[in-house]
Amino acid sequence: MSIDLSIITNYGPQLLLGFWMTIKIVVGAIILGMPFGLVLALGRRSRLAIIRFFATSFIEVFRNTPFIIQVFMLFYVLPFYGLHLPAEYVGVVALAAFGSAYFAEVIRGGIDAVAKGQLESARATGMSDWQAMRYIILPQTLPIILPAMTNQTLSLVKESAILSTITVGELTMAAITVQGETFRPFEAFIMVALLYWALNETLAIIMRRVERKVSRRTSSSSRAKVVRAAPAATEG
Amino acid sequence: MAAGSETKHNFLEMTEIRKSFGDMTVLHDVSLSVSQGEVICIIGPSGCGKSTFLRTANWLTPADGGEVRLAGELVGGVPDARSVSTQTKELNALRARVGMVFQNFNVWPHLSVLENVVCPQMVVAKRRRGEAEKQALAALAEVGLDDKKSEWPDNLSGGQKQRLAIARVLAMDPVLVLMDEPTSALDPELVSGVLNVLKRLAQKGMTMIIVTHELGFASSVADRVVFMEEGRIVEEGAPDVILQTPKTERLKLFLEKLNITAFKPNSDSAGHPTMDSGS
Ligand SMILES: Nc1ncnc2c1ncn2[C@@H]1O[C@H](COP(=O)(O)OP(=O)(O)OP(=O)(O)O)[C@@H](O)[C@H]1O
Ligand SMILES: [Mg+2]
Repeated sequence: MSIDLSIITNYGPQLLLGFWMTIKIVVGAIILGMPFGLVLALGRRSRLAIIRFFATSFIEVFRNTPFIIQVFMLFYVLPFYGLHLPAEYVGVVALAAFGSAYFAEVIRGGIDAVAKGQLESARATGMSDWQAMRYIILPQTLPIILPAMTNQTLSLVKESAILSTITVGELTMAAITVQGETFRPFEAFIMVALLYWALNETLAIIMRRVERKVSRRTSSSSRAKVVRAAPAATEG
Repeated sequence: MAAGSETKHNFLEMTEIRKSFGDMTVLHDVSLSVSQGEVICIIGPSGCGKSTFLRTANWLTPADGGEVRLAGELVGGVPDARSVSTQTKELNALRARVGMVFQNFNVWPHLSVLENVVCPQMVVAKRRRGEAEKQALAALAEVGLDDKKSEWPDNLSGGQKQRLAIARVLAMDPVLVLMDEPTSALDPELVSGVLNVLKRLAQKGMTMIIVTHELGFASSVADRVVFMEEGRIVEEGAPDVILQTPKTERLKLFLEKLNITAFKPNSDSAGHPTMDSGS
């Protein structure tokens, strides 16, 4: 099978358009999903049982069902309740919800990895639970969770391909379209695979920079903690 | 050292504090009343409930029964008629004025030495940065750490970490300081530096409750020594009375045991368990 390079020149712009949509959707999912993941992680620690229940249920449901089913639920079931959203919005929301459940577990593991005495000493100065989190615990959690957060982000990029099943015009959708028009699956999908790979590699490089920056600011023993906590934080 | 005529009795009033973990009752209705300016040292065998009792004083460990009042204000009590949000708000306000020093320091490794002391002042006491830094530098100077203000806590020795923890407490202008074995985690040669800081605080009239195994320190600094065993206060009184002429068999045994294991039974420097109340 020879490679037909004209497909790249003819359909490249169409694929790049899909690529751009993938980037927008993933960025949107991160912007929504990470803060919501934090909310879920804190919700699991709430004093109120009802909040703990909702946070835990949300995390369990989204972690233990296939992403494609979650997407179908949102896309096909919501309209029955009168909620008609464009496919791209459903895609962002679905990916954010799915991602937040995983982000929440990573953040929770990071919080647990910070020594208990840190929270106690903060509370003993008169800080509220939230102030202690904000100023003492979460800043120490950040370097611990960054590697696992990176992994989850990279897997969100890959999962976003599923959104092609609800007609979101993202990269995989574009590849399927090109393939259908040219009957050249190899060229179409190899280019798409390269684009996903490039995106994830770029993200990984950026995150590694951030990791280095964050761990340079923190001291030697918290760096040691990062290493010790990493397996716990990446599980699940 | 009691602050003479200004002494206010019942400054901290802990009444019939009861605490259980599971089926095990750790504190059996323990009561303690502390005057302003008084220095109390709590001694007793491992596991007798010293830490638990100290931690009920600022309700870091909520008791199952009894109540704690500071200058008449309710720190915590069972039952408590206040709503949960009122309890939390009032407790946080009280804790801002009650310092706590932990055995393993609990300095905050992500903040510089200076920021460790600045942070609670700004977050809790709502001071502006300028004022908070001024107070922080004064507190660091008081514990001899002013030249380390830009260091990371992890680059400090154990003794320096503990002095940082003390500076963090002092900068909040506490009316009461609780300390749980502040020198137990330190290498022997670093103990006296921390104890000297505590002595100076005592001389300045700071009200303190210190759980300690340093009998030499207790006898020279405490106004009152409290001996606990199995979740009860067994004996309390002036340090020379308690440490030299124990009334109960249990205290006698406890002191003997400590003396046998003491590094230097009649050491003149603070920091070693000793019966010597002089100097
Ligand atoms: N959070 C907890 N959960 C269960 N049991 C606890 C808890 N904290 C303390 N205990 C138990 O309560 C008892 C009293 O503990 P506490 O720490 O107050 O003793 P202590 O006098 O401070 O001892 P040490 O001198 O070893 O510090 C011990 O038997 C201990 O095992
Ligand atoms: Mg203890």
